[in-house]
Amino acid sequence: MTTVLPNVLLIEDEPQIRRFVRLAVEAEGCAVVEAGSIAEGLSAAGRAEPDLVILDLGLPDGNGIDFIRALRAWSGRPILILSARAAEHDKIDALDAGADDYLTKPFGVGELRARLRALLRRSERPAAAASPLLAFGNVLIDLAQRQVTRAGAAVHLTPIEYRLLAMLVSHPGQVLTQRKLLRDIWGPTYVESSHYLRVYVGHLRQKLEDDPTQPRHFLTETGVGYRFQP
Amino acid sequence: MTTSETVAERFTERQKMALSALACLLTALVAAPLSGLLDLANMVMPFLLTVLLVAVSLGRNPAVLAAVLSVLLFDIFFVPPRFSLAVSNLQYLITFAVMLATALITGHLAASLKEQVRAAERREQRTRALYQIAGKLAGALNGEQVSEIVQQFAGDELAATCHLQLDETSRPSPPWFDALPAQRAHDSRQRVGDAAAGDTFYLPLVAPMRVRGILAMHFPGERRGLVAEDLSLLDALASLTAIAVERLHYVEVAQSSELQMATERLRSSILSALSHDLRTPLTVLVGLADSLFLIKPALPGAALDTAGALRDQAARLAGLVTNLLEMARLNAGSVRLRQEWQPVEEVIGSSLKLLGAALGQHRVKVDLPADLPLLRFDAVLIERVLCNLLENAAKYSPEHGEIGIVVRPVGSMVEIAVCDRGPGFADAAGRQVFEMFVRGQPESDKPGTGLGLAICHAIVEAHGGSMRLDNRPDGGACVIFALPQGVPPVLEAELP
Repeated sequence: MTTVLPNVLLIEDEPQIRRFVRLAVEAEGCAVVEAGSIAEGLSAAGRAEPDLVILDLGLPDGNGIDFIRALRAWSGRPILILSARAAEHDKIDALDAGADDYLTKPFGVGELRARLRALLRRSERPAAAASPLLAFGNVLIDLAQRQVTRAGAAVHLTPIEYRLLAMLVSHPGQVLTQRKLLRDIWGPTYVESSHYLRVYVGHLRQKLEDDPTQPRHFLTETGVGYRFQP
Repeated sequence: MTTSETVAERFTERQKMALSALACLLTALVAAPLSGLLDLANMVMPFLLTVLLVAVSLGRNPAVLAAVLSVLLFDIFFVPPRFSLAVSNLQYLITFAVMLATALITGHLAASLKEQVRAAERREQRTRALYQIAGKLAGALNGEQVSEIVQQFAGDELAATCHLQLDETSRPSPPWFDALPAQRAHDSRQRVGDAAAGDTFYLPLVAPMRVRGILAMHFPGERRGLVAEDLSLLDALASLTAIAVERLHYVEVAQSSELQMATERLRSSILSALSHDLRTPLTVLVGLADSLFLIKPALPGAALDTAGALRDQAARLAGLVTNLLEMARLNAGSVRLRQEWQPVEEVIGSSLKLLGAALGQHRVKVDLPADLPLLRFDAVLIERVLCNLLENAAKYSPEHGEIGIVVRPVGSMVEIAVCDRGPGFADAAGRQVFEMFVRGQPESDKPGTGLGLAICHAIVEAHGGSMRLDNRPDGGACVIFALPQGVPPVLEAELP
C-alpha cells in the first residue's frame, strides 16, 4: 500500500462510544485520532489535518456547533454529526453551520460505515468531477445541456424544478436543510415558505421516481431537509 | 385667619352669640362719649365695623344678631331722644333700615367668604390626603396592605371604619356589614347608601377591566348624613382602591405565568438531560454489539447470533425509551408543534423509509387520491404517529399480510387509515386503548407496552384532529386518524 490512510478525527466525550466508533472507522480502512472535548478537538484538527471529522454535539466544554464554525474558518473537510438529542433544530443548526451529515443516537455500525464511505468518496471526488453527465436509476442528467431523460424519454422540467434538481444532485448523499434550499433557489424572502419546497420536491418525485410515495432517490429527512441518494 | 378659626372652633353656638352681643355693647360704650363731638352719620361706622369683625370671626348667625343689636343700641344711645326706643325724626327710620341692610349684607358676605376659605382649606387638606393615600396604595404589595391603608385613611379623614371585600379573597366581615346592599352595589356599579341619613355606604371598586370588590364605609356614633364633598371623597377613595387592587391582580398574574414558564423550562431541561442519559448507554449497547461483527478473525456463529440478538433487543429498548420520552414531553406540555403546510404523501414515504426492515415481509399498499390539498402538521410528530401505527400493523398482521394506508378527504378533515389483516380490536368502539398502558388485545402474546396508541392519540389531538378504531368486515383492524384541512397557502405560479 503506497497510499496514505485517510485520517479521521473523532470528537466524543463518552469513551465506550469512542471505542466502537473507532472499530467501525478502522474497519473502513482509516486511521483514527480521538478527542474528548472541543478544545482537544480543535488542537487535534490543527495538528492532524483530518480528512473527515466525526463530532458529538453535546460536549463537556460547549456545543459542537462552536467547533463546526471554528473548523469551517479554515477547513472544508466533511463533518459527520452524532446527536443524542431528539430536537431537530440542533441538527439543522449544525448542518447550517457547515456540517455535512448527521446520525441520531442510537445508530448501527452499518449505518455509520455507509455514511463514512459516502462522505470520504465525496471529499476525494472534486478532482475527478469533470463530467457533466450524471445518472441514477433510469434517469440521465446532462448538466451542460440542461437536459433530463428518463428511460430514454425527455422529461420536461420548469426552471425552478431544474434548479432544485441540479442543486440536490450536485450534493449526493448530503443533507441539505430546508432553509438552505429555499434561500438558494427561491431567495431569502422565501425562507419561511417551506410549502414551496415540499411541493416542488413532490413534482420531481412525480417526474423522476418509479413510486413517488416511496421515493428511492429524493429522500426526506423529516423536520430537517432533503437528501439526494444516487 | 388661623386665630379666627381657632376662635370659631373654641366656642359653642351660644357662646358665640354672647360674644357677639358683648362686642356690640362694648362698641356702644366706647362710642358713647363721642356722641356730642361727631355726626350721627359717623357714629354708625363703628357699629358696621363691629358687625364685619363679628361676621369674620364668629360666623353668620352671630353677625345677624350683631346687626340687629347694633341698630337697637344706636337707636337707644345715639338717636334723640336718647335712652329710649322712640325716634324724634322719622327720617332716622331710613338710617336704621340702611344701617340694618348694610350690616346684614356685610355680615353675610364676610361670613360666606370665610366659609369658602375654610371649605377650600378642607378640600386642599383632603386632596393632600388623597395624594398621600394614592402614593401609599401604589406601593402596596398585597391585599392586606391595601386594606390597612384604606382603613387608616377612613379613620383619619372621615372618622369612619371601613371593610374591604375583594372578589378573589374573602375575609370575615364586621357586624355592620350587610351582604345584600353590597351585592347590589357590585352589580349596579353604583354607590349604595342613604346620603342624608344613612350611616353605612357600599362603594363598588370599579377598575378598568371589571368590578374587583366592595368598599364598605361605616360612620359610627352621632355623625349621620354626608355632604356632597364627603361623597366625592368616598368615590375618589373607591376608585384609587380599585386601581390598586387591579394592579395587584395583574402583578399576581404576571408572577404566576413567570413561575409556570420557569417550571416548563425546568421540565424540558430535565427531559432532555434524561433523554441524553438514557440514549448514551443504549448507543453504546447497540454499537458494541454491532462491532462484535467487525472482529477479525470472525467470532463463531453462535457468538454472532448472540451479538445480533443483543443488538436487536437494545434497538427495541431504544425505541421504547423514545416513545416514553415522547409521551413524557407530550404530557408535560412542553411540546411546541412545528406545523408547516405539506403534502401528506411525503410523511407517509418518510415513515416507510424510516421503518424499512422493521416492516419485514409485509407489503405496504398506499392508496392516495391525486388531488389532495396540503395539510398543516408537524412532520416529525406525524411521522411518529405513522411509524407507531405501521409497527403495530406489522406486529399483528400474519406473515406476508398486506398493510394498507388509505387517505381520504372527509368533510373538513382528511382521514388517514392504517389497516392490517390481524385479529382486530376486541372492543373497536372503546376509547380505552388511547389511554397509556392499555392494549387492544389484553391477552396478546405479542410484546408491547400499550404506549404507542396513547402517543399517537396525544399527537393527533394536539393537531386538532381525532382518532378512532375500526375492524374491517373482511378481517383485520384499522386505526384511523383525521387532520383538519384548513386553508392552504397559495402557491405563486411559476413563469413558464
